[in-house]
Amino acid sequence: MEDFVEIKPKGKPLKRIYLNLMLWFVGRAIQASAKVDKKVKQEFEDLPKGYNFALGAFPNGPWMVVGKDDDGRVRYLGRNVKDKTIDLWMTLKSVEALFLLFTFQESTPVSNARSRLFVEGDLPHACAVVRIMDIVQVYLLPKFIAKLAIKRYPRWSLKQHIIGRILVNARTLIGY
Amino acid sequence: MYVPDYYEFCCGVKTVAGHGTLERIPALLSDMGAQKPLIITDKGVSGAGLVDTVIASMAEALPTCPVEDDVPPDSDLKVVNRLASVYRKHKCDAIIAVGGGSVLDTAKGVNILVSQGADDLMAFTGANALKQKLNPLIAVPTTAGTGSEVTVAAVIADHEAKKKMLFGSPFLLPDAAVIDPRMTLTLPPHITAATAMDAMAHAVEAYTCLSKNPLSDAHALEAIELIRTHIVNVVRNPDDREGRLALATAATLAGIAFSNSTVGMVHTLGHSVGAVCHVPHGTCMAILLPYGLEYNLHKIEEKTAELLFPMAGSEVYATTPPKERATTAIAAIRKLNQDLFDATDGRHFTCFSQVKDPQGRQSITGPDIETIAATALGDGTIFYNPEDLDFEDCMMVLSAAWDGAPLDRSKIKQG
Repeated sequence: MEDFVEIKPKGKPLKRIYLNLMLWFVGRAIQASAKVDKKVKQEFEDLPKGYNFALGAFPNGPWMVVGKDDDGRVRYLGRNVKDKTIDLWMTLKSVEALFLLFTFQESTPVSNARSRLFVEGDLPHACAVVRIMDIVQVYLLPKFIAKLAIKRYPRWSLKQHIIGRILVNARTLIGY
Repeated sequence: MYVPDYYEFCCGVKTVAGHGTLERIPALLSDMGAQKPLIITDKGVSGAGLVDTVIASMAEALPTCPVEDDVPPDSDLKVVNRLASVYRKHKCDAIIAVGGGSVLDTAKGVNILVSQGADDLMAFTGANALKQKLNPLIAVPTTAGTGSEVTVAAVIADHEAKKKMLFGSPFLLPDAAVIDPRMTLTLPPHITAATAMDAMAHAVEAYTCLSKNPLSDAHALEAIELIRTHIVNVVRNPDDREGRLALATAATLAGIAFSNSTVGMVHTLGHSVGAVCHVPHGTCMAILLPYGLEYNLHKIEEKTAELLFPMAGSEVYATTPPKERATTAIAAIRKLNQDLFDATDGRHFTCFSQVKDPQGRQSITGPDIETIAATALGDGTIFYNPEDLDFEDCMMVLSAAWDGAPLDRSKIKQG
C-alpha cells in the first residue's frame, strides 16, 4: 500500500468556542428572562414541571440545556446532554448551520424552513420555546440585529426595553 | 423565481392515476410483497358503494379482504387503536385506505402502531419520531383535496384534549397512491367545492410561505391553474369525469407541493377551528385562505401577485397593473368562493358565521374564537408563516373571517 497523508478534521475550534460562549449566554439569559419578563414567565408556566429542552448542533454539539425543575424554577442546565432526559430537541444539522443562526445571518424560522433545524418532541411546546427565544433575543441584541433574528420586532414600551434589558443582562452575567 | 440557498424535496410515492387504475391495486400489493390487506374506509364512502367498486376491481386476485368502515370525520386516537387491533386480529400485512383525509390519516396512524408493534400512538407524535419503514400502505383518495396520499404528515385528533396531533415523517408517505376518478364521481357538489379549496389552500400556502422552493412552486402553480379551470364546472356538472380527474390530479400536485414546503397560518388557524369546533377542514381552508394572504401581504406581495396568473388567467394578469396584482389575486379567491356559494345553493360557505352544525346551530360561537386562537399558537405550521402571529393577531383574523369582512390592514402589526 502506498504511503498517504491521513487528514483529520480540524474541528472548527474558533467557531466552537464562539458557539459555546453564545449558547452559555443565551441559556443563562433564558433563565434570567423567566424572572423578568411576564410573557416568558407565562410560557414556562404552561410547560410541564421537569421539562428539559436542548438546542445545539448534530452530531456532537455544542449544546445548551434549559429546564424547568419540579418547583417550577427555570434553570440553565449547562451543555451536557448525556446525563439528562431531554423532552425537546432542537437540532441544527451541523455546526455551520448553528453558526449561521448565532451570527444572525439566518433567523430561527428561516433555519427551520431551509431544513437546517429539526425539532423532535411535542410541537406545541416547541412553539412556546421558539417564542421564548424570540423574546430573549430582543433583550440581548440591538434592534438592527434582532430584526434579522426574529420575524417581527415587538412594540415594547421604552421602560420595558431599558429596564428589561438591564435586568436580563445583569442577571445573565451573575447567573441569577 | 425565488431560489433559496438550500432546500430539500422528496416525493417517493408511486402515483398511478387515470381511468381504470383501481384494477392495478393487486399488482401493486404483489410488488410490495403483501397478500392480505385491511381496507380502511368510512361509512359515507362504503355507503356510496365506492368500497364495493374497489373490491370488485380486485376480486380476481384478492377474493376476500377485511373491511373496516367505522372511521369518523375527525381522525381520533381511540379509532386508530381499535383499527390496529382489527389489523392484528386478521393478521393483515398491508393497508388500503379508501377515503378522504380523515381515513388516510387514520390509516397512517394505524400503520404506525402495527408496524412498530406499539400501543401508544402519542409516542410517535411530532416531527421525525419514526425511525423505520412502515408496512405497505396504498392510498385511494375519494376526495380531491387533502393530498394526504402524497404527504409526509398525518393529523389525528385527541378529542379529550381538544387538539389535533401532528405526525410528520418521510416514513408516513404511502407506498402508492391510486387516483381513479370513479372514486370522486359521487362526491356531493359542496364537498367537491370545499375539498378543492383545501387543495387550493395547500398550493397557495406552499407558494407563499417560508419553506417554498422551485420544485414545490412548479407543483403549486400547476395545481392552482387546474383547480381554477375545472372547479366551478365540476361542481355544476358532477359527472364530468375529465374534470374530476383534473381536480384529483391538482390535489395530488398540491399535496406534493405542501409536503415539501409546508403551509402557514391558514392551516394554523384552520387546524384549530377543526379541533375546537369540528368544522370540516376544507370549509376552514376556503374561508381562511384570503385572510392568510391579506395578513401576510406586506411580506409576500410579490409572490401573491405572481399567483394572479394561474388564479385568473393570462389576460387578467396582463391587463392588471403590477401594483394591483396581489390584491386582485386575493379578490379572485373571494370571487371563486362566492361562485361556489352560488353553484352549491349556499352550501359552500364564505365566512364562519354561515357555518352550522347538522342540528342547525352555529358551529362557532364567540367564546370558541378565544379557544381557537389559544390552540393555534401551539400548531407547528405557525413556524412557516411569513409574518409572526400572536394571540391578538389570531383573534383579529378569526373575527374578520367570522363576519366575512376583509381584514383591516391598518391593524396588522409590522416590525
